[in-house]
Amino acid sequence: MRLEESMCVVNRLGVHARPAAAIVQTVLKFQSEVHILHAGSRVNAKSIMGLLTLAATCGTELTVVCEGDDSEAAMAAIKALFASGFGED
Amino acid sequence: MKTKDLPYNRKASIPVARIIDRMRDELDFEVLAGYQGLSRPVFSADINRPGLALSGYLEYFANDRIQLLGNTEIHFMETLTTAKLNQRLNDMFSFEVPAFVLSRNLEPLPSFLDICNRRGVPVLRSTRSTDEVISRVILYLSEEFSPETTIHGTALECYGVGCLILGAPGVGKSETALELIERGHRLVADDVVLLKRLREDQLYAETNPVIEHRMEIRGVGIIDVKAIFGVGCVRNVKRIGLMVELEEWNPEAQYDRTGLQEEHVEILGARIPYIRIPVRPGRNIAIIIEVAALNHRLKELGTNTAQELNDRILNIMNPGGK
Repeated sequence: MRLEESMCVVNRLGVHARPAAAIVQTVLKFQSEVHILHAGSRVNAKSIMGLLTLAATCGTELTVVCEGDDSEAAMAAIKALFASGFGED
Repeated sequence: MKTKDLPYNRKASIPVARIIDRMRDELDFEVLAGYQGLSRPVFSADINRPGLALSGYLEYFANDRIQLLGNTEIHFMETLTTAKLNQRLNDMFSFEVPAFVLSRNLEPLPSFLDICNRRGVPVLRSTRSTDEVISRVILYLSEEFSPETTIHGTALECYGVGCLILGAPGVGKSETALELIERGHRLVADDVVLLKRLREDQLYAETNPVIEHRMEIRGVGIIDVKAIFGVGCVRNVKRIGLMVELEEWNPEAQYDRTGLQEEHVEILGARIPYIRIPVRPGRNIAIIIEVAALNHRLKELGTNTAQELNDRILNIMNPGGK
């Protein structure tokens, strides 16, 4: 199933290396293909380098697209991760 | 033929100011008039020479293009009376015109500049010859208007052949790339590859300007290929000649065993030779890609080994033909 949801980056430093790694770790647990869309670019959420090129700062709205059998679980996990500010302030 | 469907971006228009900025090194345009119109959009990569429009024929006037004024047009304008010139220009300006470009440092009539100032149509001037201006502007604009996308994969130059390596996350693209770099080949981009299609059929891979030649290697972390292996091991742009898809070894799948059938894949409308390589522990993928690249070159030079062997065997089985 294909799911699409908008999420906000809430931690102060935005999606730098550590949050990017946290997203990849989370997404890799699922079979679904996950892409993140922002400002005309589309990156694979299983790639740290891809996530870093988004240069998503605090307050940025990102569109998360999950496709696959476990897309619901994947989307829920990503949402929780974003809401927690990737464990940062 | 397989088609790789990718969402892509293509600019609908670009403002005149961007052309001036981007072509600063090449053409060093000087703005003679119409500053207020620098945000006017250019919709086409083509250039128009408005000789016929200036002589009064406005059917099929390609108004949405850059209008190039060379020796002919400038001197033709001088043969017109001021009233006639104003009328012709006003007729032309009943269409949206993005900008005029003058070559050879030509000096336009003051009345031409006046009307362009009033109408807010930028007039740019370069010192270069007309054919230089035309070819450079068209080349630059066609690049700007080319479809582009980013793709999750790796782009390398291997024995001079641009290889685009694709495959699911974790299949070993980056590790294969690293081994190829170690063996002296050049990295264009890893993980985030910018793809552009130019001239209908050419696909180019470009480095992402943010991450440049850095790679993430599982277990090591982020490394800088340029710093570790040197500038000889990287390049920023390379035309793609071969697409390699890595996939987990699947005993059910049929892999090409003879190389007689050439497969192609269509990416952004460009047709690219395509091979599929099954990955299994103990298979050295880097060497297989090296050989695939060399074999691709050999074919381009006119030697198709699989075909030649088949012809040879057919000849042995059936001497002297039938």
